[in-house]
Amino acid sequence: MEKLPINCEQINNQLTDWLSNQLPDAERVSLEAHLAQCPTCQAEADSTRQLWQLMGNLPTPEPSPMARVRFQAMLDTYKDTVSENQESIFDNLVAKLRQLWVPQNALRLAYSLVLLSAGLAGGYWLNHANSPTVAYKQQIDTLSTQVQEMRQMMMLSLLENPSASERLRAVSYTQEISQVDEKVVEALLTTLNNDDNVNVRLVTLEALAKLADNAKVREGLVQSIARQDSPMVQSALADVMVKLQEKRSIKPLRQLLHDDNLNHLVKGKIEQSIRDLS
Amino acid sequence: MLQVKAGNIDTMGLLFERYNRPLLGFLFHMTNQREASEDMVQTVFYRMLKYRHTFTGDGEFKSWMYHLARNVLVDHSKQNKRSAHNYDLADVADKVGGGPAADESMQKEQELDMLHRAMAKLSSEHREVLVLSRFQELKYEEIARVLNTTEGAIKVRVHRAMNELKKIYLTIENGKTAYKL
Repeated sequence: MEKLPINCEQINNQLTDWLSNQLPDAERVSLEAHLAQCPTCQAEADSTRQLWQLMGNLPTPEPSPMARVRFQAMLDTYKDTVSENQESIFDNLVAKLRQLWVPQNALRLAYSLVLLSAGLAGGYWLNHANSPTVAYKQQIDTLSTQVQEMRQMMMLSLLENPSASERLRAVSYTQEISQVDEKVVEALLTTLNNDDNVNVRLVTLEALAKLADNAKVREGLVQSIARQDSPMVQSALADVMVKLQEKRSIKPLRQLLHDDNLNHLVKGKIEQSIRDLS
Repeated sequence: MLQVKAGNIDTMGLLFERYNRPLLGFLFHMTNQREASEDMVQTVFYRMLKYRHTFTGDGEFKSWMYHLARNVLVDHSKQNKRSAHNYDLADVADKVGGGPAADESMQKEQELDMLHRAMAKLSSEHREVLVLSRFQELKYEEIARVLNTTEGAIKVRVHRAMNELKKIYLTIENGKTAYKL
């Protein structure tokens, strides 16, 4: 094979460009002109063109009908995942915001609500503590009445107790009994007049003095003056009479002065009391 | 494609209609595997969606598409190293066969068969530029963009590839003739 002239080698290099229509017009004209007069290049060009054309005849497979279906399915799935992603991004954002803000706020809110309700409850309790509801009050009243009754019974039975200290205790109960009925007054006056123990009589006098608003108690006390033989009780009674400014007591007190057994200290005390009363 | 990038994913359907056939041709000529090529077409379109933000809008969509297709091919040949360049005779026979057994068509069939084998023997670098140039009818400039090189380099590569193919083809043809004789 004879060596190709420079020009022929250039032509050879341009064959593919020429076949694929990528050769500028001027070069294409000169190439075709050269081919026309150069059999070697013409032969080369022919074989290349043959091959080139044969390549064009190489079968290219047709896309299967399934390709479009698969593509569409893929596209739909992708769209779903994209929208899901966007949704989940949004959800994540919301969740993050919640994490950032809401728990703390909720805690604060809950805390302040608790404080607020505690304050309200406290205020309500303070305002209403002195005036409980009617039913509550009734219950309390019933209960306290029952307790009073029990104390009364206890006191009455205790007053008959042989032990002086038990009787003392019974008398002291009268101070806790708000409403003393006749039974109690009677029992106390009986104790005042008849009890063996001076101390019990003194305490009873004290208790009765507090109940002096009761007319029966006053009367009992005045009548009791004549019955007392203990100087201490006599003197205490005189004091109570002065305190109560009971004029009716002057007569029995004067009678006491005539008693020969009267302690001279008590005598002076009673004289003083009579002076105070009159 | 810019519309797809902007979020209008349905326009992807138009692109599929327009390009799935040439894409399949490219992948098939590169691999000679029909089924795998069909799969790869789907993969390429999936990647278009997935990487649509990488499409800058500079240059042709086609260049970008073939660029993605080449990456898919690389992945494919990595996965199927053994069968990557296997000659898939069944597929060719499927497409070429069926005609009357006339001498002319017989001869043409043989020629195509030989060309097919010659193509398969080319280095993938050469086969690639020939496929893009001859089958996909891309300009040198476009191929250069796909392969990220200069137009001059592509021109030279196509030329060399063509010479190489011719040589292989003639060798096969001579061998066949010799065998026949």
